Amino acid sequence: MLKIKGLKKQYGKQIAIDGVDLEVKRGETIVIMGPSGCGKSTTIRCINRLTEPDAGEILLDGQSVLSLKDEELRRFRRTIGFVFQQFNLIARLTVLDNVMFHLVLAGIPRAEAEARAKQALAKVGLTGSEKKYPSALSGGEQQRVGIARALVSNPQLMLWDEPTASLDPILVGEVLEVMEELVQTTKTTSIIVTHEVGFALKAADRIVLMDRGRIVESGAPQVIFNDPQSEIGKKYQRLIAC
Amino acid sequence: MFKFFRDGFYRDYIILILVTIIVGAAVSSGVAWAVDSYFGDTIQDVIGDNGEYDLILHVREASKEAALRELERIADQQFKGAVINQTISVAGQANFLFGFPQEAKTEDTFSRLPSIFNGVPGLSSYTVIVEPSVLVRGVHPSVSQTLQQRFSQLDGVDFAFKDGKNMLVVLESAEHSKAVMNEIREILKEYQVLEVRFPIGFEVDVQKTAHAVMEVLKEQAKSAKLSNVSSAEYGEELDALMKTLVEMRHFLLSYASKVKITLNHNSNLVVGEQIIVQGMSEQAPIKGESIAPDHVVIEVLDVQGNQAQGMIVSGSIAEAGEVLVQAGYKYHSDDLVGEPVGEVQLENERYRLNYAISESLRLLEELDELSVEAAVAVERADAVLTTFQEALMQLEVLQVQMRQLNEGLAENGAQSTSEQLIISLFLNGLLKNIAKSGSEGAAEYGLDSLENLDVASMRSSLGSISEQISNVQEIDVQAIINQIVDIRDSLPELDDEEIGKSVRLVDNYIGGQVIPGERIQILVENATIDEEKVEPLIREQLDNQYLNTYTISVGTVNPDTRTEVFRILKEVRATIAGILSIVFVGVFLMLDHASIFSTLKWIRANKKASKNRLVRYFNPVMILGVIVGTALLTATYTLSRAAIPYVSMSTVLIIGAVLGGLIGMFSEKFSPVHADEIMAGLSLGLSNVQIMHEIVIPASRPGLLNLLNRTKQRF
Repeated sequence: MLKIKGLKKQYGKQIAIDGVDLEVKRGETIVIMGPSGCGKSTTIRCINRLTEPDAGEILLDGQSVLSLKDEELRRFRRTIGFVFQQFNLIARLTVLDNVMFHLVLAGIPRAEAEARAKQALAKVGLTGSEKKYPSALSGGEQQRVGIARALVSNPQLMLWDEPTASLDPILVGEVLEVMEELVQTTKTTSIIVTHEVGFALKAADRIVLMDRGRIVESGAPQVIFNDPQSEIGKKYQRLIAC
Repeated sequence: MFKFFRDGFYRDYIILILVTIIVGAAVSSGVAWAVDSYFGDTIQDVIGDNGEYDLILHVREASKEAALRELERIADQQFKGAVINQTISVAGQANFLFGFPQEAKTEDTFSRLPSIFNGVPGLSSYTVIVEPSVLVRGVHPSVSQTLQQRFSQLDGVDFAFKDGKNMLVVLESAEHSKAVMNEIREILKEYQVLEVRFPIGFEVDVQKTAHAVMEVLKEQAKSAKLSNVSSAEYGEELDALMKTLVEMRHFLLSYASKVKITLNHNSNLVVGEQIIVQGMSEQAPIKGESIAPDHVVIEVLDVQGNQAQGMIVSGSIAEAGEVLVQAGYKYHSDDLVGEPVGEVQLENERYRLNYAISESLRLLEELDELSVEAAVAVERADAVLTTFQEALMQLEVLQVQMRQLNEGLAENGAQSTSEQLIISLFLNGLLKNIAKSGSEGAAEYGLDSLENLDVASMRSSLGSISEQISNVQEIDVQAIINQIVDIRDSLPELDDEEIGKSVRLVDNYIGGQVIPGERIQILVENATIDEEKVEPLIREQLDNQYLNTYTISVGTVNPDTRTEVFRILKEVRATIAGILSIVFVGVFLMLDHASIFSTLKWIRANKKASKNRLVRYFNPVMILGVIVGTALLTATYTLSRAAIPYVSMSTVLIIGAVLGGLIGMFSEKFSPVHADEIMAGLSLGLSNVQIMHEIVIPASRPGLLNLLNRTKQRF
């Protein structure tokens, strides 16, 4: 479904990703792991072009993502769900509006959008919080609103950018539960950037390990963590052993 | 980066710019108009309707009631129908508006203003606000009379009058204002005062210098009529001073010693030359030798044939009344005695005056005593006459008796007694003696001649003398004495040398009008002289490189007070509009444009770095800010009809550019971008316009952009 070839991105003199090649099958759940600054987030941001790569190729169902023009890109983005590390909710909108507003702006009737938003909120366990503003919610709840917003448009691809990184440990669990359930029930193709090894073991079809802007190892969770080939893999193995 | 605008937001942005300009201009000009209108109404309240009042009289607050009564009295007695109104008081000054009745609005009335209102209690000054009129400020005194006449003859002019240094030209109606102002300007152009200014401390002989300057000017403009008006500005005060100085000079010359010189045949003496006489020195001047300190130096004032007159300028002669006659010698500047010039007579007038006064005092004192004694003498003479009359009567009785006795003797012969005979002989002898004492040869008259004396006439004469003596005694001689003593004491204690120096100083001032560090003013008529051209020529002519020349107008045309006030208000309005334009553009840039600039910057930062070095290092947002700032301010400033004094349009452009550039450079400080929200919008497939409408603008500071966005905002 998704094919990434030789993807490169550089910030000034700092190389963020240096020739990433990745192939994702439809329905597959990929967990990208690696140390901070290894290029995980940049990679998934390049997929929906929130970050413009310097070089490489991204093909979605054979269609080059990087060659999409403005309107095509926007349409493409509407088919991709993106969950941010910092939730990125619109502070002035209610929970319901946060979830539905892009649907309305995309031309879906308000009533339908509202119904779909409520459904999405129900999926993440936030029924009854529709009228609340993000500032009235906990970090975990805010992230669940972010997830609902990503899910509401029934995306063909979900990109998760360290969704639990900004949460305190107590709240991480509730988000991971929601994520795990969604991954298993919706069977939406997902690429998840996370440090949560446990979640990766349970939810991932395949784990991709990155280091210094490159993919250093890729494979099924059991393979990666039981018989790691890369240094990073070995570090994760030791972590699990602890 | 600017793809952002191509997405459709450019329409919104153009609308925003247009609305900003319109609102900015409307608000700026509206506030300025409101201020203008407020002050205009206030002024209307303060100085009344157009033409309603002619004067504002400024009176001390404490005297306002008395002043009002006096004004009412003036109105009642001199100007029936005059309008009086007390207006606002400012800084302890009450102000009264005074409007003359129409028939009293004449040149005569306005020329007599000081005398009309002289008696108003507490009046400190007044301002003429007669309307419609044209005010000519700073009219040069040398042409004020001429200008007044010429202005009065203009079409549409009722009359003109002087008000201090200004001249008010009262119009028949306000419609003539523009035409009259133009004509007055044309008239004023015909006159030019060229001023030559000398450095401070530099003494100028006005007459000579002015003459020299005029010589230069004549060369430049042959048809020009030139006149020295240097003292015109000093006016009456200088005239009075000059008269006083002339009188003082006369007094000093009459007080100084009189010097008469009888010249030798071969002497050639001219006015201004000096001669030497011995004076009180023991040694007479000797030709070729140095002069002695006591020698007297005399300056020749006048020469007529072989007679000359002079004045002592150094040394003094004795304080004596007699005429001093001494030989005179020419005096050379090398302090050597020159050749003899003639005989010099010196009379100390000062001594003579003092002497005459002292003698007058003595005379008066004597006269006082004399009158008393004369009165006593008259009384005695009167008593003598009385006694004489009584004696005469008794003598007549005796004479009768003697005649009877003689007759008796003649008739009776020896019958007369011897006693009667003795008495007869004695009386005859006595009468003869009395007759002898009266006059030579009177004896022959005897008693008859005594009888012929006119005692009544003598008594009448004595009465007349007595009356005159009484009149003399009635004169307050002591008062006269006191005054003469005062005059004597007030006479200046100056010697000849001091008098001479004073006279020379006065002569210098009167003759040359020495004004230190001053200027020469030449009135030029019928020509225009370029002061820059003539300045080097005048410098050369006067041999002075430090003087400067200026052209001074003989008057400046201004509209009347109300028009002037409203003109100032108009300027204030334009200035307020200008300041408000700048403030509003700055505020709009901060509130509205800063959020757009911040968004553009964020987009730019998240884009791939351009390969174009110019684009990479040049900040296009700042450039956009400069363009937008310039456009907004220029348009707002122009539309609001703003005009700040000393700020040209190019300066306005620069201010706009700087404002826009600064806001572009520091936009995040004024309106930070919620990057995570924009990122969310992008990830959700929102267009740039949608991101602006739904995310950026609603989160930005409230302003026009926010207001305009309301119609497009769906959430």
